[in-house]
Amino acid sequence: MAALSDILHSEDITSLQHLQLFARTVVEGFTTGHHASPHKGFSVEFRQHRPYVQGDDLRRLDWKIFGRADRFYIREYDEETNLRATIVLDASGSMAYRGTKGVQKFDYARKLAAAMSYLLVSQQDAVGLITFDTKVREFIPNRTRITHLHHLLETMVKTTPGKETTLAPVLESLAQRLKRRGLVILISDFFDDPAAILKSIGVLRKQGHEIIAIQLWDRDELEFPFGQWSRFENLEKDDDFLLLDPATVRQRYLEVRQAFQDQLTEGFRKHQVDFLPLPTDEPHSAALRSYLALRMR
Amino acid sequence: MTFLNAILLAGAAAFLIPLLIHLLNKRKVQTVHWGAMHLLQEVMRQRKRKWKIEQWLLLAVRIAIPIVLALCLARPVLTALRAFGLGKTSLVMLLDDSFSMRAPSAGGSPADRARQDMTRMLETQPKGSDVQIVLAGGNAHKLLDQSTTALDLLPKQLADVPTQSGPVKVNDALQAAAASLSKATSGARELAIVSDFQASDWQSVADGAALPALEALLKQDPKPQVTFYRLASDLTENLSIASADLSALVVAEQQPVGLRVRIQNHGKRPWQDVAVHLEADGARLRTSRVSLPPEGEAIIAFTHAFDKVGDHSLAVRLEGDSFPDDNAFYSVVQVRNQLNVLLVDGDPSDDPLGGAADFLELALTPYQSASATLKDLIRTTKVDARRLRDEDMKGKEVIILADSERYRGNLQSLEKFVKAGGGLIVFAGPHADINWYDRDFYRKGEGLFPVSIKGLQHATSAAPARILQQRLTHPATIYFNDARGGRLQEAEFQTWWEFEASPNAKPIMQLDRGTPLFVEKTHERGRVIAAATSADAEWSNLPLQPFFVPLMQRLVTYLATQSTISAWDQVGAPLRMVMGKERVGVEYTLRDPTGQTETIKVKADGDKSLLESKPIAAPGIYKLTQGAETRLLAYNLDPTESNLAPLAADKVQELAKRHDASFVDSIDGWQKLDRTRRHGSELWQPFLMGLLGLLFLEVLLQQRIAKG
Repeated sequence: MAALSDILHSEDITSLQHLQLFARTVVEGFTTGHHASPHKGFSVEFRQHRPYVQGDDLRRLDWKIFGRADRFYIREYDEETNLRATIVLDASGSMAYRGTKGVQKFDYARKLAAAMSYLLVSQQDAVGLITFDTKVREFIPNRTRITHLHHLLETMVKTTPGKETTLAPVLESLAQRLKRRGLVILISDFFDDPAAILKSIGVLRKQGHEIIAIQLWDRDELEFPFGQWSRFENLEKDDDFLLLDPATVRQRYLEVRQAFQDQLTEGFRKHQVDFLPLPTDEPHSAALRSYLALRMR
Repeated sequence: MTFLNAILLAGAAAFLIPLLIHLLNKRKVQTVHWGAMHLLQEVMRQRKRKWKIEQWLLLAVRIAIPIVLALCLARPVLTALRAFGLGKTSLVMLLDDSFSMRAPSAGGSPADRARQDMTRMLETQPKGSDVQIVLAGGNAHKLLDQSTTALDLLPKQLADVPTQSGPVKVNDALQAAAASLSKATSGARELAIVSDFQASDWQSVADGAALPALEALLKQDPKPQVTFYRLASDLTENLSIASADLSALVVAEQQPVGLRVRIQNHGKRPWQDVAVHLEADGARLRTSRVSLPPEGEAIIAFTHAFDKVGDHSLAVRLEGDSFPDDNAFYSVVQVRNQLNVLLVDGDPSDDPLGGAADFLELALTPYQSASATLKDLIRTTKVDARRLRDEDMKGKEVIILADSERYRGNLQSLEKFVKAGGGLIVFAGPHADINWYDRDFYRKGEGLFPVSIKGLQHATSAAPARILQQRLTHPATIYFNDARGGRLQEAEFQTWWEFEASPNAKPIMQLDRGTPLFVEKTHERGRVIAAATSADAEWSNLPLQPFFVPLMQRLVTYLATQSTISAWDQVGAPLRMVMGKERVGVEYTLRDPTGQTETIKVKADGDKSLLESKPIAAPGIYKLTQGAETRLLAYNLDPTESNLAPLAADKVQELAKRHDASFVDSIDGWQKLDRTRRHGSELWQPFLMGLLGLLFLEVLLQQRIAKG
């Protein structure tokens, strides 16, 4: 089994421990009452009685009231659950891009996912993991146990970036798999059709999932700094390349990228999804800080 | 097309540089394993087709830039215009040597600039070229007997051109140039018209008047290349003496001679108190002052009496403007003891003014008749026509026949008298026998009488004949062109002889009935004037007119001095004097105003002899001497040259264009034109423009491609 230190540097772990102190006060489910769940269900905190209607679970009948009043009442409690967070990690080919500064996007994403898993598990939250490229490659359901974290990390270490990104069907299948509402943390470059992505996001949102979309960019992808003639080979598809003089298309590339970004930003905003674009040359701690800032709102 | 710096064409090989860079760039491709392929594909999808074209276009532009630069540096020459190759040319330079070319200007007078520029034009002529220079002012003439290939000697000859001639007679000058060009030996013929294009000479041509000589010249084969070379002065202000009239050509000692001077202001500014000096025999006598309005004139009169017999010079000089060359006027006055005139009266009478010649006697000797103390120049002797003898003619310079029935004396003696240089005036009259005059005196042109007589003509007193109002050109009558000389039209004629037109007889004055009043004919050294009217008041009131006195005096002095020279002549023409055959071989010395002398030998000319000098170049008083005999001659500039206003450059340009000629106004312009003609048109300028365009296009394409 891979150790945590295999994928996280010691300073990252230290950084996480510092962050954990701060996170405790803000993360939903860590401190009871701070983030009272809006969802009703089984719990210990009684909320109210209501008349029985046909179809209600008979286990929830308050027999004492029936004994006293000869009427059927259902007992309702405030649900007092831990956060159910699912990290959806993009392992498509495009995430294998290693920029001129030497940081691979997937590596960065993996570290980020690990850090967040650690944070969540340490907050007693249930964490699940899904890796995907054209389809779901791994699915690890949500657990809170610390041993579960090792399982998550092991999966992450084993995963290598693979084929094309087709995020939309993955998200749709996710909607079927995640029966209970929770937090979905998408870590991807979202290099797919934005319209399809946003449609699937909509489905997830309708199911009541809260979504945080973390988009990873390499600095090269943001600035397109290439000078000499280049053969751009597609990381997601074999024998797919473009031979061109980058200086001549740079301006246009930047415009197209901005349009793509604007489309995503606008779409996520409409679906009330927190969207966090991140360049891979930012430290992970900064990325986590941004994440927590989002959670504090 | 040829190249002046063909070696620099090698620089065109630099086109390989962008091509190699392009190819090397394509070969030295780096591989990028790229994730955001969908973004790049979107970029390429949007502009793939256009992008490829633009890429190739950019490469083409980059390759073209060094090629065009090399072409530009190699100085390409379009030789399509080269009609006759690089060989020798035949150049005729039509140099305006008229006096206006001397007008001062900022960069030197047009004449000076013309000399300098023509010298440089000669320097750039290809070896073996021949050049002729035609001087266009006054009577156009060639500077050299024939065109020369010794071009290095021409500047010296050009420097000696005096440029004081009269106005350019454009068509005549072009005719002279065309004649020279037609004899050109080389195929490439050129004509350069170097002039200030003075409006007074060229305006009519600019306004559309035909130039047949130029049109004919342009039809020569091969067609000459014509260039209008304009060198104008920037001087606009100028004062000049437009004319000066002497009251008498010949005067007696102490007899005052009047000089009426017209001063012209050609500029736009008024002049106040301009000093005008009268000089006699080189000494300043007195000064008057005149004021002149803008573009106006003033008239000033002087009188002076000479006390010695002989030729005297009389000059008027004004001062004040910056172009003094036309500020002087020179004339010669002949002072005689007396002129002897024989009056032959055909109808003598004892009554006052009753005789046919009485009015004449009164007119020719007014002081004597008025018993005045002043002296008459003319001394008359009156004889009865019926008692005329040969002896009466002795010592006389002029004989006047008045109303003689016929000539009673020896007609042969009279003919001899005239042919020897005597003057004869014949007046008609009621007693004159027309048949005798026509048959014996005219003798079908063989006799002395100048014309055949058709008969008598009459007019009613209500509608008398009058003197035709016209500009008079005869030396004896020029004076009467000014109204102050007398009102000629007030004379009324009831009866007159109608003369037949004759090519040998020159009319002096005309009647408004289409017949001459006075006609003149030359007989060897003498002249005869026939008058169609009577000398008394029988047929007209002419003798009663105030102008009768100066008219008769002028006719007589004209006839009496006919073998001498006139009071003044215009510069440009040579001095010509016809003499008797006995003078052949005699040497005369002509001394010009600067003191330089020219020895002239009298040449035989048929049964006479001829004294002919070189063309007179400068105005002033000249002295002609032979032994003890001395004559003065006066020469003046043509006053029409004093109006310096040139044709505007654009007008000359237009004129040149109309006549399929080129226009230049500087030596640089000429040299450029000359290069174009001989070598073709240099194309480095359009190539440079093309290069700039390519550089601009390169930047534009680069930006466009970068923007996608």
